[in-house]
Amino acid sequence: MNALKKQDIDQPGAEKNITVQTSRFGEITVDRERIISMLSPFLGFPESTRFILKSHSPKSPFMWLQSLDNPQLAFVVLPASLTGLDYRPEIPRQILKELRVNADNDKDILLILTIPKNNPQEMTANLLGPIVLNSNKRLAVQVVLDPHKYDPCCRLFPAK
Amino acid sequence: MLILSRKVGEAIIIADNIKIRVLENKGGLVKLGVEAPDQVIVHREEIYLRILEENKKAAMDSPDDLSMLSAVFPLQKKE
Repeated sequence: MNALKKQDIDQPGAEKNITVQTSRFGEITVDRERIISMLSPFLGFPESTRFILKSHSPKSPFMWLQSLDNPQLAFVVLPASLTGLDYRPEIPRQILKELRVNADNDKDILLILTIPKNNPQEMTANLLGPIVLNSNKRLAVQVVLDPHKYDPCCRLFPAK
Repeated sequence: MLILSRKVGEAIIIADNIKIRVLENKGGLVKLGVEAPDQVIVHREEIYLRILEENKKAAMDSPDDLSMLSAVFPLQKKE
């Protein structure tokens, strides 16, 4: 968790930016200060602990969560507050502590979207396993909630 | 696979810091008590697999370009 910090201290002259290969965006240059460290990796992707949030465009609420450890891994995420859903899950206190969240506004909840390539209107959000992010400290974790309460593939735009 | 038999009230210990005790066995439902350090994450297997599967699907399926999403969906970032 503190690997990044430690590195900064050990190498005061270290480059401010790092360059990483990604399959989606090609070579990207990332400010070290913007790197998000996962407290524990996403289930299924144990090799990836460092990510970067990339806005799709200034106006779009959709963002990419691009892995810096696996060039092929990128999730589409959406802040839960913008979905229109009444979604305010209780995050276990231990997790908030590990994320160093002190006040409620220290944390953001991002939902991972599954977007069928040919049917984007059928996109679903994973309400069972949201990402809790402390953007000040750049720490995040995928939390697993109660499966009786939350749907892992909730349709965001129900068929009319 | 290591197979151990335990009675209600008995436990197993994994490494030095994880203890799993059989608390109750009633009508086919076994209650386990897990004592582990905070950083050890414990999941029910089927929920773990559900999240894992959904993560893989989300990572595999994502479209190449998100532009069409903004066009199709009326979500706007609040300023």
